[in-house]
Amino acid sequence: MTSTRESGEGPLLGPQADQDDRGWSDDKQLLPELVAHLREHRSQLQKEWSGRITQAHLLTSMTPQEIHSETTSVYDNYVEVLETGSVEALRHYARDLSERIIPRGVETHEVVGIVLLLRDVLARSLFQKYADDFTLLDHVLDAYEPAANRIANTVAVSFVDERERVIRQQQDAIRELSTPVLQVRERLLILPIIGVLDTERARQLTEQLLAGIRTHRAKVVVIDTTGVPDVDESVANHLVQTVDASRLMGASVIITGLSSKIAQTLVTIGVDLGKMNTIGDLQGGIEEAERQLGFQVIRRDDAASAPSG
Amino acid sequence: MSAARPVAPPAGAPAPAELLEIRTIVRRVIASRVRDSHMVDDLVQETLAKVLTAWGRIDPDTAIPYAIATARNVVASTWRHLDTTERNLHRVVDLLPADRPEDAVLDREEGDAVATALTHLPDRDRALLVAHDVEGRELAELARESSTSPGALAAQLKRTRARLRVEYLLAMDHREPPTPQCRPVLLALSGGDRRRQRELDVSGHLLACPYCADLGRPLSQRASDGTSTRIAVGADADVVLARQTGRDVAISLGFSATDGTVIATAISEVTRNIVKFAGTGEVRIGRLQEPARCGLLVVARDAGPGISDVDLALRDGHSTYGGLGLGLPGCRRLMDEFVVESESGRGTTVTMRKWRSTGGPGGR
Amino acid sequence: MLVSILRQGDYLLASINAALDDSEMRRFQEALVERIGDERCRGVIIDVAALDVLDSYAAATLGSLADMARLRGAETVVVGVSPEIAFTMVQLGMSIPHVHTALDLEQGLQVLGRLTSPLPPPRP
Repeated sequence: MTSTRESGEGPLLGPQADQDDRGWSDDKQLLPELVAHLREHRSQLQKEWSGRITQAHLLTSMTPQEIHSETTSVYDNYVEVLETGSVEALRHYARDLSERIIPRGVETHEVVGIVLLLRDVLARSLFQKYADDFTLLDHVLDAYEPAANRIANTVAVSFVDERERVIRQQQDAIRELSTPVLQVRERLLILPIIGVLDTERARQLTEQLLAGIRTHRAKVVVIDTTGVPDVDESVANHLVQTVDASRLMGASVIITGLSSKIAQTLVTIGVDLGKMNTIGDLQGGIEEAERQLGFQVIRRDDAASAPSG
Repeated sequence: MSAARPVAPPAGAPAPAELLEIRTIVRRVIASRVRDSHMVDDLVQETLAKVLTAWGRIDPDTAIPYAIATARNVVASTWRHLDTTERNLHRVVDLLPADRPEDAVLDREEGDAVATALTHLPDRDRALLVAHDVEGRELAELARESSTSPGALAAQLKRTRARLRVEYLLAMDHREPPTPQCRPVLLALSGGDRRRQRELDVSGHLLACPYCADLGRPLSQRASDGTSTRIAVGADADVVLARQTGRDVAISLGFSATDGTVIATAISEVTRNIVKFAGTGEVRIGRLQEPARCGLLVVARDAGPGISDVDLALRDGHSTYGGLGLGLPGCRRLMDEFVVESESGRGTTVTMRKWRSTGGPGGR
Repeated sequence: MLVSILRQGDYLLASINAALDDSEMRRFQEALVERIGDERCRGVIIDVAALDVLDSYAAATLGSLADMARLRGAETVVVGVSPEIAFTMVQLGMSIPHVHTALDLEQGLQVLGRLTSPLPPPRP
């Protein structure tokens, strides 16, 4: 017994596949005929489709030439998927479509819109062709509709997936950019934190710093919080944990640039500031780090503002 | 595809053309939802029958929307029915015909076991089971005869089936249960009755009684979702096994190396508590799948003395064996969800969940 | 071999080579404290890089090991704590108060050299 579940909704590709194959096999003679019809009237149907797209004000971010070449390829692939019914081909087609059109700023409703329009245009053409034979039309639609629905579905799901993937990638990139772990000297890392810290970011920052300590074999880390406007209690706790965790790996931490607001938060939540090595500004922090590492900082009178090392 | 047989129209029926139109639409609605062409035929007919029955009551103008709505309802109720059937499928009795000679022997043996099991049921339960499952009579009808509610009968049926599973396994095994505890324990396991299982100290009994542990496996498998790993805990080394299993599962679910260590550490803490306070117990590690997120579930159970004051045990620095006193409160910080259920003298269950943080590589 | 203890000069180098369970951890502690006394060494380096987790029991054991070592005249440095374990330990709320830490063996030896110099600095 097979359990038949929703076929109109959801990306249930796996279980649907073999059922579809069975469903389609009943219409073995029909489908090739249908596909042949769609191939034969390709240019006319495609033109009609393009017209409908323009009418509906979809794909406005693309030029007419672009629309033409995209619709050609989409049309051919669509018919091919209809013909083979292969899930693999369908997935590939959907992924390919999303990858090509997302960078052009196409919105989800547009993609779904054009695929539904194509479905509609083709259905109308089938209606016309088989209008005389009612039973045959019935069968043709039986074969066509589930397949067309499935294509629309898979395209929509795949498009949203692809967009989410792009967004995730960008988020990751932004996160990495926002917390660079810099080696300024042998065994000395600087972690300038800029912007608002939330728990998730604080956690990532800790993980990155710890990995950096191992990679660079760091002994001293300067965490500069000048660019942090404010922290809440849980983020302050994260900061303390970062210091403790670095210490467990054998690196000592110097915190610089604590604003009075953050200092207040730290005191309020009862952080033992005696345990934290804090220094007013980044410059002082780097000097202290160099001292700890055994570098001697010599200050020349004529260059008092810049430490040399 | 076989054409649907014409349905005899009752009085006040629609014109054939109208009916044909409705039939086409209904067929399309159903065919877009259901794959199996035979089932499509059946459902189309069922829908049309319903529409025709209601014909006198509906406005001819709304006939088509009515037919579409009916078709959807018919499909939905079919799915519901299939789901229920699947859920209540007999796990033990195999009704498929046997092919090979040895299958016939096995069949006979199974048949005998079922017969033996049936004789162990109380008469009333057996009568109900036979009436419903063998003769195929509706619960509602049976309820009317015995002037009870179908709900009560369904509950009775569920109990009876649980009982039958146990009796069947006992009959197949040809051994007498070693202790008087065994039968009630297996029964509680088969019925999936958590409260009763706690009352009977099922987990403790399963750890102590190899007979029940063996026989109870198919019963507890029935209750589990089949995606969890169980580790029996009885010694220090099992703590290591449990946490390493936990890490492996976590990594396979796409957790980061850090989260893997976090999870392994939490498992280490709760498993150690089992060894320290209860001696034996079990840890189950499984995956959690929700539409929007994926995670890991850890359930650590023992039948030991229990924790008399859970709140106190969850306080930092409270240690009963000279540790850092960070075990349970620390776990709470490590995991996203953390629940301790304990009853003095009855054992402890710790349930922990960790969700995979977003932003990681999206697995599909 | 789960654990190896080697002598190098005034120091003992102990490395844990696999995940240890509680009783193995306890035996390791006993063996190491015994060696410290017998060999009159001044420092111990414990390499925990191969440990899969450092939970509250392991941390408590290392902590008391360091305390006992100090009573017998030796300082303890733990090396090889991985980023994952460091992160987990602080999440758990653990610290090993009287234990020094260093990234690896080389830096551990430097720390010990500083700690056990002719005039050892007073403990912070």
